Amino acid sequence: MFKRIILSFIAGSFFYCTAAFGQVNQANWKEDANIYEKVCDASITINKGVNLTLSQLYNEKPVLLALIFTRCSGICNPFLLQLKENLQFKISAGEFTVLVLSFDPRDTREDMELLSERLGLENNEQWLFATTGDIEKLNQSVGFNPVWDSTRSQYDHDALLVGINKDGYITKKLIGLRNRQDLAQMINSVNNIFSPSYRLPNKNLLFSCFNYNPETGKNTPGLGLLFLALPAIVALLLVFGISYSVRQKQI
Amino acid sequence: MESIKLRKITSLWILIVLVLFIVNIVLGILMRLNQGEIIHQSPITFYANMTTHGLTQIGIWFVAGMAAVNYLLQRYVKTSYSANVVAMVLTVIGILMLWASTYIGKFHAGWTFLYPLPLKIMWAKWATPMFLGSILVMGVGWLTWSVSMMTQLLKKYPLTRALAWQHFKKNPSTQTPPFILISMITLIGIIACLLGAVLLLAMYSAEYFSNGTFVNDALLMKNLTFFFGHTIANEMLYLGLAVIYELFPEVGGRPKWKTTWYVALAWNCTLVFILTAFFHHLYMDFVQPVGFQIVGQIASYMASLPAASVTIFSVLVAVYRTPIKWSLTNLLFFIGVAGWVIGGLGAVIDVTITNNFVLHNTLWVPAHFHTYNALGNVLFSLAFFHWFFNPIYQGHP
Repeated sequence: MFKRIILSFIAGSFFYCTAAFGQVNQANWKEDANIYEKVCDASITINKGVNLTLSQLYNEKPVLLALIFTRCSGICNPFLLQLKENLQFKISAGEFTVLVLSFDPRDTREDMELLSERLGLENNEQWLFATTGDIEKLNQSVGFNPVWDSTRSQYDHDALLVGINKDGYITKKLIGLRNRQDLAQMINSVNNIFSPSYRLPNKNLLFSCFNYNPETGKNTPGLGLLFLALPAIVALLLVFGISYSVRQKQI
Repeated sequence: MESIKLRKITSLWILIVLVLFIVNIVLGILMRLNQGEIIHQSPITFYANMTTHGLTQIGIWFVAGMAAVNYLLQRYVKTSYSANVVAMVLTVIGILMLWASTYIGKFHAGWTFLYPLPLKIMWAKWATPMFLGSILVMGVGWLTWSVSMMTQLLKKYPLTRALAWQHFKKNPSTQTPPFILISMITLIGIIACLLGAVLLLAMYSAEYFSNGTFVNDALLMKNLTFFFGHTIANEMLYLGLAVIYELFPEVGGRPKWKTTWYVALAWNCTLVFILTAFFHHLYMDFVQPVGFQIVGQIASYMASLPAASVTIFSVLVAVYRTPIKWSLTNLLFFIGVAGWVIGGLGAVIDVTITNNFVLHNTLWVPAHFHTYNALGNVLFSLAFFHWFFNPIYQGHP
C-alpha cells in the first residue's frame, strides 16, 4: 500500500512537472522567435502609390517594421505615438527607415496616408506608411499572429516592432510599448553594432555549444555540448574505475 | 592514535570555519548597510565584498560538511589523514589567494564570476589569474579529499552496495547504512562538479593566455559555471543531511535509521536530478535550447522531491509522539530541516519558468539561498560542532 502511494506520488509529480512545457509556450519568449531568420520579401505600396519590395527598402537602410491597422481602437495609436516620441531623440548611432505597415487587408493606401497625416509624419522621409498584398507570408516570417474578433470588429494583436538589418535578417523584436533604451538596442542590432550581451561567432571560437548556419537559419549541436557533459562522464568513469581497481586488488 | 589525529584536524576545521563565518557575517552586514544607504561604499568595495563573501561562504560550509562526513565515516571505514591535511592546506592557501585577489588586487567580478567578466580587466592585472588560481587550488584539494573518501568507501562496499541497489529487491541480504548511501551519492556529485570547475578554469586560462587567438563560447562557460556553482551549493547541503541520518536518531536515543527501498530510490534519483537542475540558471539565455530549460525545471522539481520528502518524513516520524531526548544538537538538526524546507520552497518557486521571469536577478534569489543555507545547512553543521565538542556524546561524561 505504502509502495503504491509513493509511486503514485512520484508519477503525479512527474506529470505536474510536465506543465513546464505549457509554461514555455505561455512565457514571454515570443520576442525570441524568428530571430536571425530572413524576413519575407513582400511587395509593398508606399506613399503616393510607389510599389517596392521589402528587400529594396532594407538593402538601402535597415528597417524598423511596425505592424498596425488603421481601424484599431486599441494599442496601435499609442504604440506609434510612443515610437515617434522616442525617435525624436538621438538615441543611437546608425541609420534606418521606419516602415509602418498595415496587416489589415481592408486598409488602403489612402487610409495609410491619412494615418501619416494624423501623426504629423507625412513629410518625414524616415517614416514610410504602406500596405501589402503578402501580409500572410510576412506575418508568418516575423511570427506575428493577429486574431480577428468579430464581436468587437477588431484584431486582437501584439504591438510588434521588428528590426531588420540590411541583409534582411530579423535581428531583434520588441513587443509592447517599450522604452528608449530597448529601442536603442534594436537600432544597434539592425546596424550590426556589437551588443555586449552575446558574442558573435568567429573563427577563434572552437567549442560552441551550437553552430549557427546563416544559410539554413538552423543551429546544429557543437563540440561545446560534449564539453558540458564531460565532467559528469569523467566522474562516472572515475567511480567505475576506482570500484574496479579496488575489487581487483582485493581479489 | 589515529582517532586523536582525526579529532585534532576536525577541531581545526571547525575553528577555521567559525572564524571565517564571523568575518563573513561582518561582510554581509556591511553590504546590507550599504544597500540601506546607512554607510557608503564604492561600487568596487561592495562588489569585492560580495565576491569574497559568496565564495568564502560556499567554501567554508562545504568543508564543514566534508569534515563532518569524514569524521563520521571513520565509524565504517578507515579514511586518509593525509588527504584531509592536503585539503586543509590547499583550502587555507586558496582562501588567502582569494582574499588577496579581491582586497589587494580589487577583483570584483561577483561570486559567480560569470564569463567574460574575469577577463575584462578592471582591477590589477594579476588579480584575475590569482582569483582563478585560488579556485583551482581549493578545487584540487577538495577533489583529492573526495576521491580519497570515495576510494575508502568502495574498498569496503562494492559500488552497487554503496548505492544500496540491493534494496530494490525483496528481503535484501545486506544493509547499506543511510549515511554510507548519502555520502556515496553526494561524493559522486561533488567529484562531477569539481571536474566541471577544473574544465571551466582550463577554458578561462586558455583564453587568458592565448592573446585573443582563442575565445570561449559564452553559453558553454555559463553552463559550466552553474554546473559547478549550483551543484556544489546543493551537495554541501546533502553532506549535512548525511550527518543528520547518522546522528539525529543516535542523539535522540532512538534506534538507527535503516535504508529501505524508497530511501535508496530517492537518493539514487537525487544523483541524476542534481546534476541537471542547474539549467534553471539559464532561463534568460535565449540561445539555450528550450528543451534544456524544460529539463532544468523538471529536474529542479524532482531533485527537491525525493531527498526532501524522504528526509522530512523520516525526521517527523522520529519525533512525532516519540520519547526523544532533546538536546541542542538535535534541536539544531530539527530547526535546520525546517529552514531547509522553507528556503527550498523559495527555490522551487523561483525555478518555475513563469515565476523566474519576475524573480530573476531580484533579492528573492539571495533571500532563498540564505534561508536554506543559513537556517538549514549552517544549522546542520553547528549541530555537528555541538555534538563533536560535547563530552557526553564523545564518551567522556
